[in-house]
Amino acid sequence: MRRRRRSLVVTMLLGAWLYSGVASAQQTSLARSDRDATSSVPAEVLVVLAKEEEGKIDPQLKKLTALRRPPFNSFRSMKILSKPKLTLTPGKDEIVSLPNGRRLKLTLLRVMPDGRYKVRAAINRPNKSDYLPLLQVVASAGDPFFVAGQSYQGGTLVVGVTVDPQKTSK
Amino acid sequence: MESAKADEKLQMFFDGELSPQEEAELRRELEGSTENMAELRQWEQMREAMHGAAAEWTAKLDSDALFARIEAEVSAPELPSEVERAPVELRVVPGGRERRIWGGLATGFAAAAAIFLAVLAWPEEPGTTPLQMARGTEVVAVDFGANAGTVFEVEGGAGQPLAVIWIDDEEMGMP
Repeated sequence: MRRRRRSLVVTMLLGAWLYSGVASAQQTSLARSDRDATSSVPAEVLVVLAKEEEGKIDPQLKKLTALRRPPFNSFRSMKILSKPKLTLTPGKDEIVSLPNGRRLKLTLLRVMPDGRYKVRAAINRPNKSDYLPLLQVVASAGDPFFVAGQSYQGGTLVVGVTVDPQKTSK
Repeated sequence: MESAKADEKLQMFFDGELSPQEEAELRRELEGSTENMAELRQWEQMREAMHGAAAEWTAKLDSDALFARIEAEVSAPELPSEVERAPVELRVVPGGRERRIWGGLATGFAAAAAIFLAVLAWPEEPGTTPLQMARGTEVVAVDFGANAGTVFEVEGGAGQPLAVIWIDDEEMGMP
């Protein structure tokens, strides 16, 4: 009887410990989510010049299988022009200069409840709004979105933006 | 019958078991009986002989060694014989079963808790959970301005949808 009572107490203590562990993990997760919503996030912009002429596909782009699918599959050559890395801070604009003189403006708006990032983008010449006045995208970490169609040097600019906390901004 | 009672009373007198009054009466009777007095003297001689033998035996006895041996045997762990072990094991069986039951319950509880925590902490497979369904990128608002544009969705390497915003553009002739 005494041994049974002791086993019961041990079982209850074990259950309490496990419950406190789960509760602690949930609180930690919530705390991390709140913290992420106010912290900076690394991002990377990929500027590619794509042409329909036969040519080389930059080896670094082979892992981006999306660039081999429509509407990109008409391009026969792709060259990386720049790959700037930056840090997105909520509410603060980050500017990336494009080779055609336009500027890409990126702003981290917020972190969604599912962990994705809501990002605002605009592409224009300085003090003008002649190309892409406004774009809002929700992106999960590591997954890019593309803005394409600008003509440049006989080809088309394909701009990919990836928000990825795992990447180190420079 | 009278003789038997007389012998018994004489024996009780010899052992000092008579009351003072009975003892006084018997002493008066024994003064006139040489036969009983002789018998009493024999008993006394026998008793003295027995006491002497006992005293001689106890004098030779090493009482310290005897008590040490007794204490050693008392304090030594009990080693039941083979015959005695079987019933002892049978008496232990219920306790052992109880330990096994509670040990099994505790182990089962711990295993269930471990599975529960593992399910909570397990990384989700692509496309199997709402979190994974939220992967990829999607356009929530777009303003093409004066240009014509199209929003595409292209499949990523993990099958996730990736947003493509395509805007028609004139040759700007910029460097």
